Formats: sequence, C-alpha cells, structure tokens
Amino acid sequence: MSDLIGLRFRLNGIERVAAVAPSMMLAELLREQLGQIDVRVSCDQGVCGVCTVLVEGTPTTSCLTPAFLVANRDVVTVKGLSGDATGLTDVQRAFIECSAFQCGYCTPGMVLSATALLAEHPAPDRQTIRDWLDANVCRCTGYQVIIEAIELAASRRQEQATTRIAEAAD
Amino acid sequence: MPDSPRQNRELSDRARQDARDKVSGEGPFTGDIVLPGMLEARLLRSPHAHARIVDIDTSKAEAMDGVRLVATGRDLGPLKRTTYGNWVHDQPVICTDRVRFEGDVVAAVVAVDEVTAFRAMERIHVSYQLLPPVMDIGAALHEDAPAIFDQKHPNVPMKLGRDTRTANEPAKNVLFSYDFEDGDIDAVEAEAAHVFTDRFHFSRIGHFYMEPWICIARQLTDRIELWSCNQDPFVLRQDLSEMFGLPEGYFRVQTAYIGGGFGGKSYCKHEPLAVLLAMLANAPVRLLMTLDESMLTLSQHDGDLVLTTSVDANGRLLSRRTEIDLNGGAYADASAQVGARAAYRSSGPYRWQAYHAHSRVIRTTTIPAGSYRGMGGTQASFASESQIDMIARRIGMDPIDFRRQNLIPAGEPFKVGDSLVDTDFSEGLDRVEADLRHVAGSPDGPVVRGKGYALGLKDGGSFGRLGKATVKITTDGRVLVLCGAIEIGQGATTVITGLVADVLNVPREWVRYAAIDTDVTPFDQGTHASCATTLTGNAVWLAARKLRGEIIDMAAGELGCDATTLDLREWKIIGAGQPLDLEPFVRKKFGRFGFELSADGFVQYPKEPDAPFGAKHLYWMPHWVGVSLSVDRETGEIRIHDLVTGVDAGHTLHGGGVRGQDEGGTIVALAQTLFEEITYDEEDVLAVPTPLDYRVARASDLPEQYRSFILEQGMGPGPMGAKGVGEAGMLGVAAAVANAVEDATGVRLTSLPFTPEKVLAALDAAEE
Repeated sequence: MSDLIGLRFRLNGIERVAAVAPSMMLAELLREQLGQIDVRVSCDQGVCGVCTVLVEGTPTTSCLTPAFLVANRDVVTVKGLSGDATGLTDVQRAFIECSAFQCGYCTPGMVLSATALLAEHPAPDRQTIRDWLDANVCRCTGYQVIIEAIELAASRRQEQATTRIAEAAD
Repeated sequence: MPDSPRQNRELSDRARQDARDKVSGEGPFTGDIVLPGMLEARLLRSPHAHARIVDIDTSKAEAMDGVRLVATGRDLGPLKRTTYGNWVHDQPVICTDRVRFEGDVVAAVVAVDEVTAFRAMERIHVSYQLLPPVMDIGAALHEDAPAIFDQKHPNVPMKLGRDTRTANEPAKNVLFSYDFEDGDIDAVEAEAAHVFTDRFHFSRIGHFYMEPWICIARQLTDRIELWSCNQDPFVLRQDLSEMFGLPEGYFRVQTAYIGGGFGGKSYCKHEPLAVLLAMLANAPVRLLMTLDESMLTLSQHDGDLVLTTSVDANGRLLSRRTEIDLNGGAYADASAQVGARAAYRSSGPYRWQAYHAHSRVIRTTTIPAGSYRGMGGTQASFASESQIDMIARRIGMDPIDFRRQNLIPAGEPFKVGDSLVDTDFSEGLDRVEADLRHVAGSPDGPVVRGKGYALGLKDGGSFGRLGKATVKITTDGRVLVLCGAIEIGQGATTVITGLVADVLNVPREWVRYAAIDTDVTPFDQGTHASCATTLTGNAVWLAARKLRGEIIDMAAGELGCDATTLDLREWKIIGAGQPLDLEPFVRKKFGRFGFELSADGFVQYPKEPDAPFGAKHLYWMPHWVGVSLSVDRETGEIRIHDLVTGVDAGHTLHGGGVRGQDEGGTIVALAQTLFEEITYDEEDVLAVPTPLDYRVARASDLPEQYRSFILEQGMGPGPMGAKGVGEAGMLGVAAAVANAVEDATGVRLTSLPFTPEKVLAALDAAEE
C-alpha cells in the first residue's frame, strides 16, 4: 500500500499513528478509523461547521482538511476538552445553563468554536461572538442563547481572574 | 445524566435532560450505530425534473469489486405495495417508469463502503426520454399541462367534521382539495361596509436539519430491525407492515436522538427502501444521505393565498373567504393535512359571522412538500395577518386596536364545535406593543423606519389523538419513563422527566428516559403538532401520579395508617414518624431481588362529528411579534433594529426549552422572510442544490436586538395548564415584517421573501 501516508499526531492528548490515503479527510480518519464518534459530519462541504475540531487550538473544518495535514499536530475534539471534576468545561457548563442547544448535532462544533474564541478573545463583544459563530450553523436555537452562553462563560472567567488578582494582592 | 451528587442544584434544575449527552458529543445519533458487516447504500437520483425511464444498465456497476447489489424499480418484488405517502400512496420506493422531480430515486447501490458505492453509481447508465417539466402551480393548472400521474392511487379518504368536504386527487395535477363553509357568506358580505380582496404569495424553504437523513436496516431470521431518524416509529412500523405484507411486530423500530427535523423527519420516507436493500443483501444496510440529498427529501409548501374579507362601518370583521393553492411537489407525503389546515387556520384569531375556506394542493415536478413546522399555519398567518393590517390602515384604524376589537376572547370556541380558545390574545399584543423599542425616523432621505405587529396562530396538539406512558421505579428509587415522544431537539425528554421527578419528588437525575423501541415503548401516534408536552405529557403525568398513589397506599397498608397523612420524598415515606426508607421496605415485601413498581397512563381525546375537523383541536398556539426596522429605498435592504416575540406556554415546564422553541422558529422564519428560499432556475434546475448555495440564517443574521417573552396563561390542556409552543416561532414573523415595511414606506409587500430586488420593484411600482 505504497500510496498510504504514515501519520503521527496527538488526538485529545494521546499520541496516535495512522496510515491514510492522500484523499482521506480528517473527519473520516477521526470518526471512521479512530472511532471518535463525537466528530459528526453534516454538509461535508465546509459550510456548516458541524465537524469542527481544534488543530493546534484553531477551529478547523475536519470534513475538508486532508488527514495528512495534521501530522505532528495537536487535534482536540469535544471529548478531549479537559473539564473540572464533573468532566465539563466552563463553556460546556454555560451551554447547559443557557440551554444553548436543542438537537445537539451542531453542539460539539459550537462548543469548540466557542472555546477557541474565548482563548483568543477572553472578553469578546457581541459582534466578535457573532463573527466567530458565523462558521457554525445551528438550525434549532436561533443563536441568541449560544451567544449568551459564551458571554456567561467569559464573564465568569473575568470574575475568577479578578478574584485571583485580588487574592494575590491580599 | 449520571446520578451525581446535588453539588449544583441550580444547574441540574435548569439543565435539559439530554444536556451531558449533547455538550459532550456523546449522542447517540443514528449515525453512531455501527453493526457488524454493515454495508453502505447510496442513491442514484434523477437529474431531470420530469422524464420517462427508457432503460437502466447496471451491469458495469454490479461487476465492480465491493458492490453487493444494485437495486432498481425492477427489484420491488418483496413489496406488496410499492408506494407510500400520507392519505395518498403515490411515492414509489424506487421509480419504475418515470421520474417526477430532480432528485427522484432511480437506483440504489449497496457496497462495502461509501467510496465504492459512489464509484458504482457513476457506472450506472440511465436513458431518459425527457417530458415537459411542470415547475409551479400555474403551469400545473394550465389546461395543456401534462398530467404528472396518469391514474389515481390507493388512498385513505380524509374524513373530517361538520360543513367540510375533502377529496383526494379530484382533478388533473390536483392532489387534494378541502372545503369548509361556515355561515351564509353572501348575505353577510351584502351587508358589509367594505369588502377587500388581497393576494399573497408564500415562498418555500427547506428543513435543513443538521443531521442528514439516515436509516439502518437489518434482516434477522424472522424479523427486520430498523434504526431511523424518524419521529414516528409506530406510524413507520405500520407503513412497513402494509407495504411488505408482514405483521407490524415483524418490524422493530428503534430511535436514537434525532438531529433536528422541523417536520422533515416525519412519516415514512426512504425506510422501505432501506428494508428492501437489507432483505436483498441479507446483511445490515445503512442508507445515509448527504445534506444535499436530505434537502431533496422534503420541503415546505409555497403557495398562493387569496383572502376576501368584509368589515362593517365600525371596523368589525364580518366574513372571510379564503382561496389557497399550495405547491405539493411531486408526491403526496403529508400535503393533504397541510392543505386542510392552512385553509382552516386562515381565519386567524378573530370572530367571524361567516367563514368559507377552499384549498387545493397542486402537484408539480419539484421536491415533494410535506410537514413543515407550522403546518399550513405559517402560510395562513402570513396572509391573514398581512391583510388584517392592510384593512386597518385602509379604514383608518390603528392595526393593534383593530385586532383587539375583533379577537376571540378566551373561553369562546374557535369556531362552533371546536375547542375553546385557551389564550388571552390581547395580553400578548399589549406586551409586544409595550416591549418594542422603536425610534421613528425621518420620512425623508433614502432610509426610512417603521414598526409592525402580527399575531400568528396555529392550533396545537392536533385532534382526536391519544397518549400512552409507563413509569417504573426500581428498588433503589430510580425511575424509568417509557413513552413514545421522540427527542428531536424540542426538549420532550426534559419536560417529561421533569414532570415525573416533581410528582415522585425525586431529584431530576434519578429519572431516566427509556430508549425508544417499538418492541417495548408504549404505542404512540408520532411526535407531531407540538404535542409532546400536552398529549404524552398528560399520559406521563397520569402514570406518575398513579404510581405515587400506589406507593403511598402500599406503605399505608403495611404501616396501618391513613394514606392521606403520608407523603413521598426521595424514595422515603414521610409522615409516619421517622422517614421510612423504601428500599428495605420493598425488599421485605417482594424478596431479596426487590421489585419494579410501575403504573400506566393513557389519555384519548374523542372524535366529535360536530367539530369542523371531526374532533376538537387540543389547544391554541399564538405567536406575538413586534418588529422595528428600516428600509433603504436605494438598495432595497431591510434592516431589523428590534424584534420582540412571545408565546403562551400555559405553564412553563422548562423555561430554556420554551424560549428556545420560540427563538429558534422565529429566526428560521426571519430568514424565510428576508432571503431563504428554494428556487429553480430558468432551465428548471434546482438553483440551490447544496448547502453552499442554500443560504440559511447564521449568527450575523440576528436582528440588532431581539427579546422573547413567555406568557403563562394557565389555560392549556397539559399538566398544570401547560401547552406546546414548538411551532409558534414560525407563525408571526413574515407578516410583522411586511406590516412594518408598509409603515416605513407606504408600500405593501405580498410575496415572500422580501429580497432587496423585490423591495425595489415594489417601491418602483408604487411610484409609477
């Protein structure tokens, strides 16, 4: 099978090796070959954002990214997010509190986009959130509850940061 | 959700029952199910709107490595009935002699993997003889139009109630007609001060659920197992039974989470084909569509609506005549229901001395139309609430006051024989009027501002239906609810488990929603018509209260005390000295393996021939909308500055769920109002064949400001006065925007969507 490409990368913190055809997309590698079922595909054309994963922290459309491109990179799916004792991140908890999902099919991609957004913009304004979310289609919620969930997570992080600074000053 | 300590009560109360499964990507959705030896099926579809199939050569595809079989219309042998559809069975499992829309199924390939299936499809050669396409209602009704079907089909006549007539396939290219005649309309019109006739065109959008359509079928020795993204597992089981001539119990249908549907995953779709392929291959077969293909499976109905409405000199509504033609596409699906409901609902929430409604569903060679969130109520509300506003302006009345003085008050029947209106319509009007933030702009300059309101309406929960449920409690006090409400995103499992937790007084985490499996789930007529809270909810509520009573009675009997002095809390009996832990109690009574106490609930709403639909509608579902917008008279762009919407939940069982239903529907409706549309080009080819071409709402499409509110008027038929809200969001938006545009520009838009081109054309026409 000389046309396969050997590949070594980190998936959710664990080193994985795979042999992939040049045409194999990352979504297929993750879902079909490695059993990462939290990566789901909808449009399969890079339009809807359902299959979003983080590659080196950047939201990436896995249905349109050739798998070999993640060689030696760090890939994180929603199951690889490291949460608190309950297994949830602050973003996921905010999504739960705001009922920021309905059918849940777009939710892993939404959570990952929101996670990356907050990593880059710890206190995003509403326009920034809307701009980032434009990469992910949700047909159920009307988006406003998702925006509110991201704002809730952001404001909690700000509070915690303020508390830490205040404690350090004491 | 796992049984977690009560470390965060607030979160667990607000959390949806399916929260962890969804924010962690757990699912499962149907696509996560993998069976050993599962083969992949893919469909070859017609590239033509209308053509005769002259020949299909599958030999090259069949000869390929990895191809298990290629099925065509020649392979329908195992089927006793080869067509399906609601009321009229006209859609072939695979086309035999003719294709009737671009996307019609011509062949199915079953292969070891998806790539092989796609490659095999390229090697199937189909010769077509083109037939003239029939792309819209006008073309279909033209006297020279080709007949899309040459003969009538097996069908089920729709029997409704008083003063109503229906017909299946009454004329060439007419699938269905409905007539309702209430009152002496000629006499009423003769006395009226004004009679206004207005025409409206409603556009068509796709469901665009994010989980593409999927079904898995497996042949066992003496039965078929099926997993489908279908919200009606029992209805589907019956269809399969009839089509294959096998007992219902031959089919075991299971349902995972469904990734959105909005009507598009109701009733039988391509499941019979998946079953046929599994039978032919004698192996598990997965039929998985792309999102493009899912868009070809079903759509909403576009249509033409003509309303003739009379009023007296004091602005009192007197009568209305409604004439509706809906584009049903190539096949029946659920079009007949949509046609009947669109006509009945076009009277809106108003009192009439006479109301006549006539509707037809017209066949065209386009995507089949069927159930779509709003189910005819969306079309009806757009036309009705537009015309109400137009009439108010014509007779010099404030549009809100005009509505107020004509509303049906709560407690009065919607029409004679129908259920009582269980909503105070005026309270919501007061609320949108008070909440809307509108800044009147200058009438000069290119950008002008306006505000508008609408009161969309649909009946909810359908009519003459039933609900069934079982609640079980294990020896350790954990609860399992069995009922057929499908979790499609609407939050049914949250509402239902929450009800049970409250009745049995246990933490919500203790209540689990049983998997859906027609072998064990209590019978259900389908998760339709925003009925899960009211219909299934009542059955569940009944079962839970019965179970609670049985537990307390059992304890009272053992303790020798009066049951009315006892209470139940977290699987303990309260009120007889020390709280009595029920686990040891149950083991003592039933033995060391414990027991499962259980109770059933059943509700059925009767048929009533004196009701216009042959039974009373379960409840009434309003949608109040206020919008402040500006129109750029040079670019034609409409900008929404402020949007207020509201629903009546009766009694809120999950606030996040209610809000999500309103806002989610509202934003889809706003996209339909402004830009989203399924269209065909001049060559009669689908102009929006992929998600890249087909524009749906994204976060940037939200209005500048949007607030939704929930009224709890407590008059619904569900538990504690609750009612459904699932389709409300679709109803009022388009009319409110049209009304605001007239307020801003003086020009009336009557044809959706209100694209910049249409706005400019309307402004130009008004100037001439």
